[in-house]
Amino acid sequence: MTEALIAVAALLAIASLAFLPHEATRILGAALLAAVVFVFLRHVAGDVPALLVCAALGAGVWRALPPTVLRRVSFMIPSLLLLIGVTTWLMYLAPGNPFAQEKAIAPQVEAALRAQYGVPETPLAFFRVYMERLLVDGSLGPALKVQGRSVQDLLLPALPVSLGLGGLALFLAVAIGVALGVRAGTRPNSWADHASMGLALVGISLPNFVIGAGLMIVLALWLDWLPVAGWGGFRHVWMPALTLALPHAATIARLARSGTLEVMQEDWIRTARAKGLSEGRVVSRHALRVAVLPVVSYLGPAAAGILTGSFVVETLFGIPGMGQWFVKGAINRDYSIVLGTALFYCGLITFFNLAVDLALAWLDPRVREAA
Amino acid sequence: MRSGLGLLVLPLLALLGIGLTFRASFHDPADFTFVNGTEPNTLDPGLMTGEPEGRIASALFEGLTIRDPATLRPAPGVAERWEISADGRRYVFHLRRDARWTDGLPVTAHDFAYAWRRLQLPEHGGEYAYIMHGVRGAEALNRDEARAIALRGPVRAAVEGLVQGAIDPQVWEELVAEQDLVTTVRGTRDPVLRAGLEAPPVDRAAFLNALAGEAERRSARASEARLHYGIDLGVHARDDYTLVVELVAAIPYFLELTAFYPAYPVPRKLLEAPGNERDWFLPEKIVSNGPFELAAWRIGDRIRLRRSDSYWNRESIPSRTIDALPLENVTTALNLYLSGEVDWIPRYPSDLVDALRERSDHYAHAGFITYYYRINTRRPPLDDARVRRALALAIDREMIVSEVLRLGELPALHLVPPGIPGYEPPPTAVGFDPERARTLLAEAGFPGGEGFPEIGILYNTLESHKKIAELIADQLARHLGIVIKPYNQEWQSYLATMRAGDYDLGRAGWIGDYLDPNTFLDLWVTNGGNNQTGWSHPVYDRLIAAARNVDDYVQQPFVDGLAEPGRLRVLLAAAAEAPDVTARREALAALRLHLLREAERILVEEELPILPIYFYVVNGLVRPEVEGFYTELVQSDGQRLPNLQNLHPLRSIHLPGSR
Amino acid sequence: MSAGQREQGSSAPIVAPTAGPWVRAFRRLQRHRAAMVGVAILGVVFFACFLLPTLLGLDPTSTAPELRHMPPSLRHWFGTDALGRDHFARVLIGGRVSLWVGLAATAASVTLGVAYGAVAGFYAGRVDEAMMRIVDFFYGIPYMFLVILVMLMFSETARGEALPVFLALGLVQWLTMARIVRGQVLTLRDRDFVLAARVVGAGDARILVRHILPNVMGPVVVYATLTVPAVILLESFLSFLGLGVELSWGQLVAEGVAVVNPIESPWWLLAWPLSSH
Repeated sequence: MTEALIAVAALLAIASLAFLPHEATRILGAALLAAVVFVFLRHVAGDVPALLVCAALGAGVWRALPPTVLRRVSFMIPSLLLLIGVTTWLMYLAPGNPFAQEKAIAPQVEAALRAQYGVPETPLAFFRVYMERLLVDGSLGPALKVQGRSVQDLLLPALPVSLGLGGLALFLAVAIGVALGVRAGTRPNSWADHASMGLALVGISLPNFVIGAGLMIVLALWLDWLPVAGWGGFRHVWMPALTLALPHAATIARLARSGTLEVMQEDWIRTARAKGLSEGRVVSRHALRVAVLPVVSYLGPAAAGILTGSFVVETLFGIPGMGQWFVKGAINRDYSIVLGTALFYCGLITFFNLAVDLALAWLDPRVREAA
Repeated sequence: MRSGLGLLVLPLLALLGIGLTFRASFHDPADFTFVNGTEPNTLDPGLMTGEPEGRIASALFEGLTIRDPATLRPAPGVAERWEISADGRRYVFHLRRDARWTDGLPVTAHDFAYAWRRLQLPEHGGEYAYIMHGVRGAEALNRDEARAIALRGPVRAAVEGLVQGAIDPQVWEELVAEQDLVTTVRGTRDPVLRAGLEAPPVDRAAFLNALAGEAERRSARASEARLHYGIDLGVHARDDYTLVVELVAAIPYFLELTAFYPAYPVPRKLLEAPGNERDWFLPEKIVSNGPFELAAWRIGDRIRLRRSDSYWNRESIPSRTIDALPLENVTTALNLYLSGEVDWIPRYPSDLVDALRERSDHYAHAGFITYYYRINTRRPPLDDARVRRALALAIDREMIVSEVLRLGELPALHLVPPGIPGYEPPPTAVGFDPERARTLLAEAGFPGGEGFPEIGILYNTLESHKKIAELIADQLARHLGIVIKPYNQEWQSYLATMRAGDYDLGRAGWIGDYLDPNTFLDLWVTNGGNNQTGWSHPVYDRLIAAARNVDDYVQQPFVDGLAEPGRLRVLLAAAAEAPDVTARREALAALRLHLLREAERILVEEELPILPIYFYVVNGLVRPEVEGFYTELVQSDGQRLPNLQNLHPLRSIHLPGSR
Repeated sequence: MSAGQREQGSSAPIVAPTAGPWVRAFRRLQRHRAAMVGVAILGVVFFACFLLPTLLGLDPTSTAPELRHMPPSLRHWFGTDALGRDHFARVLIGGRVSLWVGLAATAASVTLGVAYGAVAGFYAGRVDEAMMRIVDFFYGIPYMFLVILVMLMFSETARGEALPVFLALGLVQWLTMARIVRGQVLTLRDRDFVLAARVVGAGDARILVRHILPNVMGPVVVYATLTVPAVILLESFLSFLGLGVELSWGQLVAEGVAVVNPIESPWWLLAWPLSSH
């Protein structure tokens, strides 16, 4: 209980950074960014050069980066530290431990393994070990279940796979979803509307393990157009990308449709029509920008989710991506993997939410003024 | 539109990123590709556990002996011949001179001594160390220091905490929950300790004294083993090509153990270099001595094995390259097989049994695995043996195997799977008999299930476990009128819950490690790490200990509480009157199996802390044209045996035409 | 249901009319045919899941392995599963859990998410920033652990019942809702009708509840209708991983997915739970 109270207090403290003067959070952001770079750079360049480089970097960043970004960084770094703490606490609360097997292992074997991997018995001790490793060695620590590799050894090769596949899926989801949704929204209750919303309904109701398995049978086994599974050529990419994209495409289509419906009633759309613009031009030049606002809000978390891969799609198609580690880490109680993926995911979420906020401001002048 | 252009950049970048992750080395398909089921956590033979890892290990490394792929009998590996002493306790292995590591160094007896010593070092953390505890000094090195610490610490504290001047064994066992401590003390020769456990009460001060003495002895044995084991104790290299092994007692299956991965050699030179201990087996570092070498290993994608040029017998290895896919999804595995991309899948979705079993490429044979339920004997009313027996009598195992599993699995009325040469399971009377079950339940105070509390069946999440649990719950409800609720937990929670004893009935399975009943029976000794039922039976414990060292038993035989004392006396007499050493060894082996049989009888007939359900059938799909894949083992005497241990050495498997 | 939001924004009156925006929103909903059909369907499903099994005396656990995988017939409307249990009964009983979990988690997510997002968006600036950083933080917590933990806290008492799953899912679903609402409110807070309301002296709370919230209901309703199946899907994903509850649509889908194979397909195992979605 004490731990929970401490976590809440820390979270409120981090949130209250928002009430510092703007200049202070800017400086804090620049300093924290420089500090993070320093932690990793000192292993490459040595202490003194790294310090100099980072001081210069900090100053440069402070002058050059937009305040919105710097402010976001000033929240992000303390949040990540708190996240490590909270996640560690949760992991230790969960039953089991990374070394538990079906066959009971002898106590001295467990003790030996704990010593070797730096996994003490209490969350506080582990937090200390982990932070020390992270800040002093700049390492995410050894993976506990998969032997002989560090967390970064496992995550870094998987990163381009997930980013590539996720990027493609994101593009497909947005392209399909916006096209269907806007079309349906401009002609409500037409057959196009019903057809695309019916499609969206299917996309929303089917779990992706069913979609994936279905695609596999149709496209790979019946039609023989694409290989069943694996990762070795562009032929392997399309089915997983589609599987990953479809549920999101469906959600986006529905959000885009309702956004379009609303926008088309606005005065300035009437004005645009009155000016004699063609319907297509009205939609693409005027309506689209505002109609996709809810879609853009949704894209932040969705993008992070898609890009970090989906466990289901990866296990189904045998893809060496990152999604597997999110689940395997938790299932195996591999503390290092869990923390590594959580840090990564939280960083990604922050990044995409920042991107979404910037995009919202760019798309809608009203938000710009508000912020 | 500007944003339109921006949107197009995204897929292009994505495709570029994807392109960078393809590996040129995987473009050619391998000669043989199979689905390995899961990603190996390690390729260090001294640390690994589990079938998928074992498959890769036996391709990368070679032990003193190997299992002949066609018969699974031990055959010469790195050792070209060996001598066994008359009492079966001393092995001298003569190593072949042409065995080489992939770095060109010869494989020597020192490599084996080093690997075997490393396996037993407590700080190494090898889980399979206990497999080799039959070697003299191994157990002392591996366990005794920890035991001494426990005897000085928690055990002493527990005894001191007792207020009475005497020790009641019941209290004692409840206090000392630490794994194998009670067996440690039971196995002692110290008369005071033995008396304290077997014939209480004893004097408390004397008992504490004896504990301290035992701790001292354990400590001394541990440090002696640390100084000598692998150097001049238990196992040692007489010269570069001669390895001498001394056993505590004869082990009939020892040459099978030397073909098992914990006994594989490790590259000593590589491991002695600093910084390699934990990652020497990664592709960029590994040095191995088996028929294959590790060409590439990409997590989540595949392991590629390539025939090793330095292997002494490379001409006999038909496949040049083998790919092992770590795919866990059985449906995808099946689809890959059907589309022709893989040649062997050791599992497929169990729902498809009916559709696949008639195919020519389908195989199914008996396995060395038992599926059973643990009963938490600490929880009333399950602490009553009559209740446990009633549960056993109300389960219709025949229906489970014939209607749910449908691959010819055998209903299990005892624990040890059939097929161990020379071992006869006890005849059991606890088959399906709902009438008797109801009678027993009524005797225990629950006529018609009246007043019986609702109990749960805990299983780890898996479709087939779920089906069986739901079926059994329905059967028990129907035949006994009691309420049973199956519920699942994910793996780690399930393990923790089982270990904490927080369940009523719990699913479990056990894969035999070696072809001997002991691998199933020594689980159930008091407080054994895998017992987890709270069940404890002094006669059972004594029987297991006696089977571990039959010579001791012959010195101090006991027959109390046994079902067939007459047979035992005959066997004892046969051992005593054996004309020569070989005959005596055989008589002792028979005696040993009989002791285990008596133990199993207590387990599955009298006490039932577990409910055996069925014996596994191992099944899968393999291309019919694949050669060197044996589901049936034709022995030299023409006898046909099932591939019980489900070993399919990759050294013999190949697709003709790929050569 | 989503097409019910047509006339908004500038057409909102300055002086509160007899019928408030909430009432008008509801009237629009009533007029909308598709929405009423949806409500009717929901009613039928509720009736089927919560009353029908009792009325017909259906038993979802009674096994008869010799009758396994029977296609739909008069006796078993939806066929039978691998243990010969009546699939109709299982789908209905499973629906109880799924509807309950889906609606409860959605209700929680709507309540919490709308309130939180509206406050953040309405006050904007530093309050918004502070509140959104808290949301960002919650996004980062590996929710698998939350689920495992919550399920375990109840494992011995609940043994696979739905409440823990609902709790665990509710814990994560409100975050996205909060972000969406906040984004919408940001675009609304400086609109003419809000200024107008302010001019006539309406307080913050009144403006939020009376004028802004009715106007964000469009995306909220859409997203909420998406949340119900999303929660049911998430629950099926948890079942897929072995963290799910005993008998639910998600569980049935996870069980049924084995039929998506080229060999033989007891399709009824998958079709019914899916169409219930």
